[in-house]
Amino acid sequence: MAIELFDIREFGMDTISLAGTLPAKLAAVRAAGFSQIMLMARDLVSHPAGIEDAVREVQASGLRVTGFQVLRDFEGLSAHLHDYKVEVAKAMLEMCHAVGSKVLLVCSSTSTHATGDPDVLARDLRKLAMLAVPLGIRIAYEGLSWGRSINEFTTAWDVVCRADVPNLGLGIDSFHAVASRTSLEELDLLDPSKIFLVQLADFMWHDVPSAAERIETARHFRVFPGEGVHSEQIAELVRRLDRLGYRGDYSFEVFNDDYQQMPLPMVAERARRAAVWLGEDVLHRSVPLPGRMRLRR
Amino acid sequence: MLTPPVREVLDDARNPLGVAGIEFIEYATAKPQAFGQVLETMGFRPVARHRSREVLLYRQGEMNIIVNAHGGSLARTVQPGDTPVIAAMALRVRDAGEAYRQALGRGAWAVPTTVEVMELNIPAIHGVGATRIYFVDRYRDFSIYDVDFVHIPGVDAQPPALTGLHWYGVVQYIGNDRMEDWSEFYGELFGFHALPDEERHGILPKGRILASPCGTFFLQLIEPEPGILDLDGEESWQRIGLGTPDVLATVKALRERGVAFVESAGVHTETRGALTRSSLGGVMFELVHDGR
Repeated sequence: MAIELFDIREFGMDTISLAGTLPAKLAAVRAAGFSQIMLMARDLVSHPAGIEDAVREVQASGLRVTGFQVLRDFEGLSAHLHDYKVEVAKAMLEMCHAVGSKVLLVCSSTSTHATGDPDVLARDLRKLAMLAVPLGIRIAYEGLSWGRSINEFTTAWDVVCRADVPNLGLGIDSFHAVASRTSLEELDLLDPSKIFLVQLADFMWHDVPSAAERIETARHFRVFPGEGVHSEQIAELVRRLDRLGYRGDYSFEVFNDDYQQMPLPMVAERARRAAVWLGEDVLHRSVPLPGRMRLRR
Repeated sequence: MLTPPVREVLDDARNPLGVAGIEFIEYATAKPQAFGQVLETMGFRPVARHRSREVLLYRQGEMNIIVNAHGGSLARTVQPGDTPVIAAMALRVRDAGEAYRQALGRGAWAVPTTVEVMELNIPAIHGVGATRIYFVDRYRDFSIYDVDFVHIPGVDAQPPALTGLHWYGVVQYIGNDRMEDWSEFYGELFGFHALPDEERHGILPKGRILASPCGTFFLQLIEPEPGILDLDGEESWQRIGLGTPDVLATVKALRERGVAFVESAGVHTETRGALTRSSLGGVMFELVHDGR
């Protein structure tokens, strides 16, 4: 493993970029020099030996869990649909807790059954945040670029502000910000302490005007930062967040069908190159920053 | 009809569940007899025994303490160990079923019930760690203990409180950066509100104090010491606080019964409060001056 001039601990990989078994993914991420990993529920529930063994493997890997994903279409439902989603949310929270993750990612609803009333969305997210309190989990709410009523980080932020609860904050995904052409100047209006997770990915097309194109691209054709055609915007997003005072994690949220059929070390190496690009060329990190040693949360 | 302008916060809004105090505190322990002796030195008396489980009820004055040596198989349940730990708190509320539904509606976790035949189904939600919070509405004419417990023959079922001891509150240890989360939790679900920082009682003023919506008891949230690495971030109800109109008289009476108090430079007995020395590997009681 190459020795970097800076510390890549603020960047992490996501299991969705890698094929294979959970232990193989953990080993590849670790071998590439990362110290954290973003997990998805499927990593645990599809483990052949069961959830408990999956949790043990994650713990034994020594990797810190950046966050756990993803709760979908939760907010804005009523009656039995709401009750059903609360049960789903509880299962996600329990797995998130079991695997030692402090962040649960929640994507804005795409459901046509959900209301768009921001106060109702806020009320539901507030309830979700309360469910998360005893388990020590923070909820990162992300505006999917094809979300039904919340589809940018700006509108997601509005809902987070309306809910006004300490353990509910924003998840920002560079893909959605770039795809929906949200002005990155809007980032300056956010409270950095309420950004609980930043996910980074680029893609190969210049434009994804329709929701269908965004979904297709987001799920199959993302690439690591520095590999796509929006490097400048990703660099700007990261610089703005850094200037704003965001000191949390950056996770590479790269869904890519090609990476799913490449050897794991090769994909992890691409992720490492992305971390080096961001750390050296974008953020100009040279040595571990004093004060980067933090108490575990 | 014109709606009159709102000039004051109505009671119902401040106390949506009609919380009216602590009905009981439950400890889990694998050593119920040893812990029972500790409780007796503190002035509690065993008054009743559970019909079907290894559970005893201790009482003095208004305070009920349940000592549970029966683990149970449900997930997120405090399992009895050598050191007694607080496993549950029961809140007196206006309507237990309604309080339970309201709490669930605001994001509480329901505890599945496991009642035996003819036992009361007391609704409960999950609290900090593996603890539970029960809702009890039968505490005036009819008590929950009349159903599930059998009185111990020849024992005064209503032993008076020693020197006016009464519930003062519960101290909760929380993880790093968790003060706001827990304040919101207790505020949202039950209507607790934080006291101003300058308003402190007792001799251990750390952290934040939340007053119950009925104003009769308190929760004190304490974070880890700054600079201490909190590896597992374990959170729990650490101890109970007992109120007394005269701390020194209570300390004297308890000393005569064999209770030892912490007397160090930092923490020692004074008119505002006192702290018993830890016994059975970590059980302590705090006394707080409180004129009620």
